[in-house]
Amino acid sequence: MIKLIKCEYLKTRRRYILPVTLGITAMYLALLFYGEYSDDALRQGWWALLYQLPLLNTMFMPILCIVVASRLCGLEHKGATFKQLFTLTSKGSLFTAKLIYGLGIITVPILIQFAAIYIAGCYLGFGGVYPLNLYLIYLLSTLLTTYAIYVFQHCMSMLFKNQAVSFFVGIGGEFTGLFSMFLPQIPCLRKILIWGYYGDMQFVGNNWDRETRINDFYLMDINYAAFFIITTVAVLMYLIGKKLFTDKEV
Amino acid sequence: MKEVIHTYKLTKQYKKKTVVNELDMIVREESIYGFLGPNGAGKSTTLKILLGLVKPTSGEADILGKKLNSQNRLSILKNIGSLIESPSYYGHLTARENLQIIQTILDLPKKNIDAVLKTVRLDKQEGKKVSEYSLGMKQRLGLASALINMPKLLILDEPTNGLDPSGIQEIRELIRSLPKEYGMTVIVSSHLLSEIDQMVDDVGIIANGRMMYQGRLNKLHMLDEGKSLEEIFLDLTGKEASL
Ligand SMILES: Nc1ncnc2c1ncn2[C@@H]1O[C@H](COP(=O)(O)OP(=O)(O)O)[C@@H](O)[C@H]1O
Ligand SMILES: [Mg+2]
Repeated sequence: MIKLIKCEYLKTRRRYILPVTLGITAMYLALLFYGEYSDDALRQGWWALLYQLPLLNTMFMPILCIVVASRLCGLEHKGATFKQLFTLTSKGSLFTAKLIYGLGIITVPILIQFAAIYIAGCYLGFGGVYPLNLYLIYLLSTLLTTYAIYVFQHCMSMLFKNQAVSFFVGIGGEFTGLFSMFLPQIPCLRKILIWGYYGDMQFVGNNWDRETRINDFYLMDINYAAFFIITTVAVLMYLIGKKLFTDKEV
Repeated sequence: MKEVIHTYKLTKQYKKKTVVNELDMIVREESIYGFLGPNGAGKSTTLKILLGLVKPTSGEADILGKKLNSQNRLSILKNIGSLIESPSYYGHLTARENLQIIQTILDLPKKNIDAVLKTVRLDKQEGKKVSEYSLGMKQRLGLASALINMPKLLILDEPTNGLDPSGIQEIRELIRSLPKEYGMTVIVSSHLLSEIDQMVDDVGIIANGRMMYQGRLNKLHMLDEGKSLEEIFLDLTGKEASL
């Protein structure tokens, strides 16, 4: 397995996958921190971010998953390399090795974002104590949802030669996920779609007082069931995708 | 006489269509076996079955003394090199980088890369991206990939397809040298008798998935003394194809 993961690195040399990922992450961070901060905003900075991040993640993370998965899998379809690789190793281990490599890449921007938030928050002078516990829960929810979406994109990109298929299905999922964030009236929408889980696992709410123009953030119940569900769904998608890939003849 | 391959009533159906039909194929050790048949006869499908890429609907195959199944597939394939249909390659990588991937998966010594690049005469252009290669060079890279594990058995599916006459000649000479130099057995398929008649010892002629003739090439003309090999080949394949 280590050998196969090393091969994934060898295959993607000069494909600039990590630089592209980091570029998208830089854009994301610029959008996150851009703007003037009022005293009030600074005071509540740590909480305001926890409130805003799920929406931004719903916008950016699925795109990152689409890009990384298509780049990693597209080069195999393009070079008709699967038929050769299948004479060297099993389809299942190839499927898994490429998935692990992609999950590794997709973890980098999430960790960068996590660190950047702390550094930028301290630098800008956010008020109060950094709520480390809440940020760790946030980190876990972001990792799990992004991994689930990545598993989905990986399966699509491996199974369909034409990478436009995985692109359009992925974008469709992302938009439905975004849509679900603005429709808390239909909670089932964000529960049945993996793209809705950034929102579903959100645990900081916001009251905006029209009169005083003051934001007030509060802690909601943490949805532990969602952590369990998204993990299960990711594992199931992996198993199904692997089975379909293994059964496909070249 | 040792057999490297012996298949028993190998059959493959897609939906209702029988693409390979009760094929009994016998390949002798250290021989060059020409697998001949018109386009769509079932050559590639048969070779894919031998590599475990496609599961036969029925029938069995003994390869290098073992009955091929999904458990021993990879251990048998360690001794086989193959090039099926068009060559597989990563266009953004150089020839050396492409071969390094196979070398890593198979845990082979690095020097094998240098050796095969030299064998297929790509050692001068090894630093160029493969997407900039000509078809002939890509085909030679495919051959290098097949040879990198110094296999006992080499399976080449239409390796001269689309090449110009000098490219064909070059590959033909290379294949011809393998049994003597490395003790390899080679199966090479083609839809043109003229492309392989000067390099093979034995032929198997297939049409519509059925084996029409199998044996020494130099016995083929005895089927009909009055006709050329080309005419006999057309008789064998054409009659069946027009049924
Ligand atoms: N995956 C497949 N599904 C359905 N039919 C196939 C498939 N692969 C090959 N065939 C059919 O099987 C026949 C034999 O194909 P092939 O083995 O590629 O022939 P050859 O290599 O001799 O030209 C063709 O008619 C082809 O259309
Ligand atoms: Mg063919």
